[in-house]
Amino acid sequence: MMNASFRLWLTADVTTTPWQARLQRAYFGWRRLCGNRLTMLGLAVLLFLVMVAALAPLIAPEGYDAQSLADRLAAPSAAHWFGTDDLGRDVLARMVYGTRVTLMIACLVAVIAAPLGLLVGTAAGYFGGWVDTVLMRINDVFLSFPGLILALGFVAALGPGIRNSVIAIALTAWPPIARLARAETLTLRNADYIAAVRIQGGSALRIILHHVVPMCLPSVVVRITLAMAGIIITAAGLGFLGLGAQPPMPEWGSMLSSGRAHLSGAWWISAVPGIAIVMTSLAFNLLGDGLRDVLDPRSDS
Amino acid sequence: MHLSILKAVARQASSVSTTLLGLLALTFFMGRMLPIDPVLSIVGDQADQSTYDMVHRQLGLDKPLYVQFFLYIRSMLSGDFGNALFTGHRVADDLMKVFPATVELATFAIIIGVGIGVPLGIVAAVYRGSVIDHFARVVGLLGYSSPAFWLGLMGLILFYATLGWVGGPGRLDVGFMDSVGTHTGFTTIDALWEGDMEVFWNAVSHLVLPGSILGYGSMAYISRMTRSFMLEQMAQEYIVAARVKGLSGWAVIRRHAFRNILVQLVTVIALAYAFLLEGAVLTETVFAWPGFGHYLVAGLLAGDMNAVLACVLIVGIIFVGLNLITDLLYRLLDPRTR
Amino acid sequence: MTRALRAAVALTVLLLSAGGGQAATPRDALVMAWNLDALITFDPPQIGELNGNDIIVGNVCSTLVQYDPKDTSRIIPGTAESWSSSPDGLTLTFKLRSDLKFPDGTPATAEDAAWSLQRAVLLGYFSSSTLTQWGFNKDQIADQIQATDANTVVLKLSKPYPAALLLSAAFANSNVAVILSKAAGLKNAKTIDGKSDLGNAFFKTGPVCVGPYHVTRWDANDVVVLERNENFFGPKPGLRRVIIRHVPESSAQRLLLEKGDVDVARLLNTDDLKALEANKDIHIEQTLMQRMTYMSLNTTNDPILGNPKVREAFRYLIDYDGLANTILPYKGVPRADLVPAGAFGALDRKEGQPFSLDLAKAKQLLTEAGYPDGFSKKMILSANDINPAIAQHVATNAAKVGIKLELEQMADANLFTRGRNRDFEVQLIEWQAQYPDADAMVSRHATNPDARPEAKLVGYPVWRTGWQSTDINTKAEAARLEQDPQKRAAIYKEIQQYMMHNGPMAYIFQTIRPIAVRTSVKDFVIAPFSVDYSSASK
Repeated sequence: MMNASFRLWLTADVTTTPWQARLQRAYFGWRRLCGNRLTMLGLAVLLFLVMVAALAPLIAPEGYDAQSLADRLAAPSAAHWFGTDDLGRDVLARMVYGTRVTLMIACLVAVIAAPLGLLVGTAAGYFGGWVDTVLMRINDVFLSFPGLILALGFVAALGPGIRNSVIAIALTAWPPIARLARAETLTLRNADYIAAVRIQGGSALRIILHHVVPMCLPSVVVRITLAMAGIIITAAGLGFLGLGAQPPMPEWGSMLSSGRAHLSGAWWISAVPGIAIVMTSLAFNLLGDGLRDVLDPRSDS
Repeated sequence: MHLSILKAVARQASSVSTTLLGLLALTFFMGRMLPIDPVLSIVGDQADQSTYDMVHRQLGLDKPLYVQFFLYIRSMLSGDFGNALFTGHRVADDLMKVFPATVELATFAIIIGVGIGVPLGIVAAVYRGSVIDHFARVVGLLGYSSPAFWLGLMGLILFYATLGWVGGPGRLDVGFMDSVGTHTGFTTIDALWEGDMEVFWNAVSHLVLPGSILGYGSMAYISRMTRSFMLEQMAQEYIVAARVKGLSGWAVIRRHAFRNILVQLVTVIALAYAFLLEGAVLTETVFAWPGFGHYLVAGLLAGDMNAVLACVLIVGIIFVGLNLITDLLYRLLDPRTR
Repeated sequence: MTRALRAAVALTVLLLSAGGGQAATPRDALVMAWNLDALITFDPPQIGELNGNDIIVGNVCSTLVQYDPKDTSRIIPGTAESWSSSPDGLTLTFKLRSDLKFPDGTPATAEDAAWSLQRAVLLGYFSSSTLTQWGFNKDQIADQIQATDANTVVLKLSKPYPAALLLSAAFANSNVAVILSKAAGLKNAKTIDGKSDLGNAFFKTGPVCVGPYHVTRWDANDVVVLERNENFFGPKPGLRRVIIRHVPESSAQRLLLEKGDVDVARLLNTDDLKALEANKDIHIEQTLMQRMTYMSLNTTNDPILGNPKVREAFRYLIDYDGLANTILPYKGVPRADLVPAGAFGALDRKEGQPFSLDLAKAKQLLTEAGYPDGFSKKMILSANDINPAIAQHVATNAAKVGIKLELEQMADANLFTRGRNRDFEVQLIEWQAQYPDADAMVSRHATNPDARPEAKLVGYPVWRTGWQSTDINTKAEAARLEQDPQKRAAIYKEIQQYMMHNGPMAYIFQTIRPIAVRTSVKDFVIAPFSVDYSSASK
């Protein structure tokens, strides 16, 4: 498939530029990843979800709020593959748009929590001393709470809604990242090449950003991917309690909750979103496991 | 040796108390930010401004924040957590009532988690790469990926409504509610105490479904950790040596490998027990189990500061305390970390 | 929101009984399944929610007078055997029965009755407004309400209100018109902040008053038990005990009811009620309540919502008939009038609901108002029950005429706070009228004495919208003082017609309260303002 000379360059034993070295590492890592079937399954599921989210208007052109009171609580049929809910809306349509909501929450949380955790952790590890103590105390306070309860508290304080639940979940997701980053930084802090850059006059910020952070990245990526599974479930839990996305936004957790009053007659309203949550969470877990085997084999297998 | 342990304990204790204080402050100020107005929960929407002001003063909400915080710490140290607005009773009394319910649920869940998780983990490690290993892995993964509240709902539809194998929401059938007195707060134990087997089995039938669902999550975690500890052990040289000496595979496992992981395993189980507090929050809601998690959520949604603060503090203490104990245990029992 | 949580699992029980035959309820007790978590006190003037009032008023504490259960426009004697007003209308006198006794047998006198009334005003809880809105106040209360002898209570009024209105508004089935034991209250009073609490803390777990039952047990969120009083002045209660269990889910209540483990289920949802219709052992009693659900449009500093044509357009966005067939069964009856059906002076069913879904008309009104392309507003609502469904229904229709309604659900207390602070644009909310007279709603939803923000008339929903009409204010006050019932009714008709088209609220439905009772329970009297436990027998 690949151009013969490109392949030779990619698999050469001796690399001549940093870029080549990086690409090689990525390539071999990718090969190993592909060999892991379960991980590929997870990746495939996630890609499928991304596609569904992107193509939502094509799959469900009527949108997620097309009410039809006459058709409410209809069982799955040819017209409505997953049935209708208590306002006559097509459950499949709502599921499809709900994928967007779920993926958006996942991305936003990652985008907020990972940099925040990295920054705090590397700073604590690099500077040490009272900076370390203060930052880690704060970290401990957040860590000593189970994630859901802390997120509940924040959302209750900030008020319900997608924006606030994203903030709340992100606030519970950064502590483990910070801890991890700090541990990595501590082992790197006294490395020779770091000392070399310092002698050359590199500022702390430069050292942290250009040298320390990239070394922490693999384990952070693994950690965040694995954490995604829990984040999805926490977000669904908040939605279940009515503290997440507000109606009529089709968030899976709140769809689950609205189906509770009809479990006897219309079980599909609750069953379908639940299956989707399990699928998504499982996919992140599988992908995370595979990534860990490739990027960070030191941690438990 | 003793002096160094004492020093370690002292250092831990001081860091623990600062953490706890920070926790309290965080919750307190978070709670004051709660947009839910506890006064309105009491007086209702039809009250006019003067009634509102009166109750506002009665609750002490007109004092400045730091004064309120200080007053709260002071009363808390003497065991008075204030009154819960939504039950009208003292929070301390409420907590004494709801805690045993959650502990009963968590204990049942841990028994399942350990009873199934440990053997599963050991077998998965011994027969690494086999069908059993993969099976254990998949089952565990599903456990991590399924929201307990959804499993609870589906479980109720299937096992309660359709099949009738288990009891429904609540700890006992309503017909049994007054049948046994409260000795320990554990309906199962109380029933046995009074020798009432009908109530005992009824309590068990209500415990089975929520307990199993919570236990499933614990089992996933425990079996995974057991497997990884065992793998670590089995790679050690002494195992190979024992095998060479002629000991059978399982005898080696039992006498050496398993014994050596016990310490780590116990700490993992303790952690799993604490994490059940988190799982309990939504499970108790679905099963109308009158425990701690249910109380916390009800308090949160009613804007009941006193109840929420007390619950958060308890959770924090449990977690911090557990971490402390785990650390100490490691220091005491594992000579390598000294 | 909390109620939605509690309606956690609704399940069909298709099974044959798993545990074998359960014990049926005791022959001498009425067992009810209900949701008890809103209960915070049993001291009558402090009770602010439905459950507490239901349990205490009439069942634990009899009131001076009460509504005839068959006809709420008639007032019949309670603990007072007769009443009269002076020719100038400024004095109201109650003559109490001479056989009133407290649960322990000690006689109850006018002294206790007067003290109970004064106490309601002095304690200052929400119920005090039941009396203060008619001119009673803390400073003069000892003079305004007096016991002139052992059986007579005399009230001095500031204005000559018609007796019929006063009795209905302040005394019939009212939690201030009870007779609490003054001796017990003062003996167990605590001093808080330098003032006596008049037995408030003591009565919290069970008031000592004249009535058919007394409270013997209250375990929060668990159970309430009442026992019959042997020296009750009225007909002997049919059942010795009343046991009220806390069962927060509809499905569980239904199961218990079907199996006969409870006699009465108070909190069933639509699905469960529909399924019970077919059950021959169970009868569903539907009572029309004096309670309205409506959209409140805030006109404060808002030229859009301040425009009457815009507000009228909102009326045409509601598919009253459609809702009546789909979401409203067992929950409510469509009604656009601010006065609920069954109140004195209310418009009848047809006159009270002249609107229907008419998007063309709505669009036309918007265009006339100057907003042909619509506008954007935020609607806040509670997550309880069918409110989200109603809100989404309105929002969908609104979108079709260009009005973008962004919904935000929140806990009840939040919703109330936003309303009271005038911090909303559109609000979906409910209101309970305190007595079955048009004045109840008009005085709170139409009369706005002072529209300024500083006035803080937070207990007046109409104040919260910033809307005011001096004309309506005058008419309402005149109606209050009009002695001729027919003339009174005529004034109220005018007010209702005006408010339906021009007012700041768009009313959607009137609440129905469904109670499911097993047929083994006989003669159980269920009326809008009283659920009479003592009337039941088996």
